[in-house]
Amino acid sequence: MSSSSSRPTPRPSGACAGCRRRSWLLSALSGPLEYCARDRERLLELLALPDMELLEAVAGRRANELRERYERFRGDEPAPVHGPARTNQPARTNQPARTNQPARTNQPARTNGLETVCGHGRGYPRSLDGRCSPHMLEVAGGAARLARLTAAPVVAIVGSRSPSDYGIEIARSLARGLSASGVSVVASFTDGIAAATHAGALDAGAGSVAVLGGGLGVACPQRRRSLYERVVRGGCAVSELPHDCAGRRWGQLASERIVVELALLTVMVEAEATAGDLAPARIALALGRTVAAIPGRVTSPLSRGTHALLMDGASLVRGPRDVLELLYVPGGPRSSAGAPRSSMGGPRSPVGAPRSPQGAPRSRAPDGADRHDESCDPHAGLAPALRTTLAHVGAGRDTPDKLTRAGLDGSELLLALSELELMGLIVRGDGGRYLPRHRVDE
Amino acid sequence: MLARAHAFTIDGLQTRHVSVEVDVRAGLPAFTIVGLADTAVREARERITAAILNAGFEFPGRRVTANLAPGDVRKAGPGLDLALACAVLAATGQLPQEELERVALFGELGLDGAVRPSRGALAVAHAAQRAGMSGLALAPACAREARLIDGLRVIVVEHLQSAARVLRGGPDDAPAEPRVAAAGGRSQLRQGVASACLAGPDLSDVRGQHHAVKAIVIAAAGAHNVLLSGPPGAGKTMLAQRIVSILPPLSRAEAVEVTRIHSLMGSRVDALAMTRPFRAPHHSITAAGLVGGASRGCVGEVVLAHHGVLFLDELSEFARPTLEALRQPLEDGRVAIVRAGHSAVYPARFMLLAATNPCPCGFAGDGDRCRCGEVDKARHRRRLSGPLLDRIDLASSLQRDLADDLLAAPLTSSARAREQVADARERQAARLAAEGVAVNAQMDGRMLRRYARLDERGQEMLRGARRAGLLSARGETRVLRVARTIADLDASERVRARDLGAALALRPEPTIEGNRAA
Repeated sequence: MSSSSSRPTPRPSGACAGCRRRSWLLSALSGPLEYCARDRERLLELLALPDMELLEAVAGRRANELRERYERFRGDEPAPVHGPARTNQPARTNQPARTNQPARTNQPARTNGLETVCGHGRGYPRSLDGRCSPHMLEVAGGAARLARLTAAPVVAIVGSRSPSDYGIEIARSLARGLSASGVSVVASFTDGIAAATHAGALDAGAGSVAVLGGGLGVACPQRRRSLYERVVRGGCAVSELPHDCAGRRWGQLASERIVVELALLTVMVEAEATAGDLAPARIALALGRTVAAIPGRVTSPLSRGTHALLMDGASLVRGPRDVLELLYVPGGPRSSAGAPRSSMGGPRSPVGAPRSPQGAPRSRAPDGADRHDESCDPHAGLAPALRTTLAHVGAGRDTPDKLTRAGLDGSELLLALSELELMGLIVRGDGGRYLPRHRVDE
Repeated sequence: MLARAHAFTIDGLQTRHVSVEVDVRAGLPAFTIVGLADTAVREARERITAAILNAGFEFPGRRVTANLAPGDVRKAGPGLDLALACAVLAATGQLPQEELERVALFGELGLDGAVRPSRGALAVAHAAQRAGMSGLALAPACAREARLIDGLRVIVVEHLQSAARVLRGGPDDAPAEPRVAAAGGRSQLRQGVASACLAGPDLSDVRGQHHAVKAIVIAAAGAHNVLLSGPPGAGKTMLAQRIVSILPPLSRAEAVEVTRIHSLMGSRVDALAMTRPFRAPHHSITAAGLVGGASRGCVGEVVLAHHGVLFLDELSEFARPTLEALRQPLEDGRVAIVRAGHSAVYPARFMLLAATNPCPCGFAGDGDRCRCGEVDKARHRRRLSGPLLDRIDLASSLQRDLADDLLAAPLTSSARAREQVADARERQAARLAAEGVAVNAQMDGRMLRRYARLDERGQEMLRGARRAGLLSARGETRVLRVARTIADLDASERVRARDLGAALALRPEPTIEGNRAA
């Protein structure tokens, strides 16, 4: 907690002193925790420890000093500042002199409108009751709004930080569709899928919950500042760390667990098969939450992680409808051990339309577009030429050249593509490729 | 005794008449040149003295004063040597004065008296013809260049002695050479271009990439600025290099203008330019290199690309100030350089052709391959965005081609595309004749409202695009211009919905950017 005078006095509904002390302790231990965070599992174990044990476990030589300060803590102490954790170097004797300086950041901490909630008071998300759940959250955008958003079913959308256009479009439309259906979406606040998720929720005019990996006042990088402000206007941003605690890697990892814990269901949009990208899914499985994944191309490394999840029994999700089905099937979402595979036997999407061998030109439209899913084909009203083009684009013939090769009329093709783009059915992505766009009203 | 000769000096792209006056009178032997002469001219004293003596003439052992008038024009370069030497000879009575009044002299002298070529012969010939000189004497190497100007007698002189012979009424050193055929009619011009392009790269070398080829043809037809983006190896540069082969031929006036610029900048010119210039500066170029003004009279690439194509490969690698400097020439078709002591306006109406990777690694959109982070991509987009992109009418993306595409037949050949482009340009020129512009790319909003009327469906589409936020006001102008050109290529007087649809598909802004930046 900062001694800054601009900070409003904690309201009666704010977090209790004990939970604030915990938050302070985490920021005080930020440096040592960063060192421990090389191992995700160990970090989660550490975060599950009670205060004193955590302190003993990571504080090292500063344990005594920090313990003293911990015991003196009244709720207004500034967080101590550490350099990068280097436990192999002896702690300098002049260290304590520096610990009372405010956080070294380029921008002043923004503290206006921050509230705190903890498990001992009202407004704390019910789902944060796990072994290593955060004790307290700082909230920008209002504790009441956080309570409202988490009272609705919550879905977490997670995925790669450098996704393809496909991933971005899917995450955005998924968030848009879910928000429009009254489901709250939660995501971290990193680049890529997370940013697209928040943008999608904003598209639908709803709020999302952003979980930051550092203090709310300082952790948001400049390039996402405007998105942050829009998110806070419509939804809320939360962090378990005090607002002036600079973001670190461990905080990012820790924020993933909050994202997953807040949600009933975690949807992985695009992920490589690396421990980092798949971490949220692992946490969700450990918590017994449902994991769902969006399939991609089997050749894309960015879908390897999601495909691996699907192989392991995660639910297959093609759009907001599938997520809603997962949320509202009788019995509620099941853990992925008994994941409802039935959803995979449902109607096939045109995306799966078969391609003839050697990619030889096919002049007719992929049948899948018409035959399946007729009851809810959103494009039934389209002109035939547009429908054919859309089906081809959905089937991965995403450039004008590929579409021409597939037998579409060259002179009318660009017109069809432009018309589809105007209708919002496709978007132009990187490299001049067209992507089908998921409709919210699906 | 006083004698006078006529010469020309070059200042940037301008040619100034210089009257060379030589006065020889009694006094201590000296040779002085006055009249704002630069180092090369002042050094002429030594060359002239040696040349006169070595050519078997006599150099006066008296006080020689040469004045270069007008006195406020800076004279540069060694092209005044021949005029100075002849004036000295005339002033000492070794040459008759009469012929010197009618013939302009242009050339550098060697110590042995040989006449050497100087750059800018075409411009000097042009100026001599306009100044009403009956002839121009210059070195043999410059003769072809000077002959491109009609109505001027070109006198070839190899040596100071030949110059003296000519001035005494004798023959010059020219072999009986037929005049270089100055292309006359339009069809002749087209043939000329065809033969000039025959040797060059042809559009039929491009396999696959049909839509990019179409985009290039559209750009050539309307002189639109165009951006090609695609991964390395997709063929952006290959395509760009072929654009000159499909551009319409230079008109006679344009050809003279272009040839004059290139002659002044020191390139050897044998005939009037047939094909349009294609300039492809490396991306390390500075702003001064691009627009000119580095030193006095030094013009930039945009001027050299006048009436032609300026190709900026790897657009994102160019320094920001360099690209910013392109705004004026892109907007006005000219560049005004103002430096201490002088200012000049150069013509710079060119078509901008830019190529770039879609992201730092070049594989964005190629799903599996691009490994660029969001931050890198954002930085890359920032470099491309801004005022320059605002002046690009159409963009085309290339993809790395599938192997079977490389075996497919090419979409078109340069010859066919050139015909299409020439026809489309004729249609534009006829329509826009009253407006004082020649191509669709130069149409403003008022002309568009008048000449690019949309049909019912097209208007509906345009409204839709505006509603969907796909088009800004400026973007709309650009799309309409391109749609007009597409209709022209199709010989359609009306702009139909399909023309607008194609123009929309070729508009430069990627919409996913909103997604990414969100």
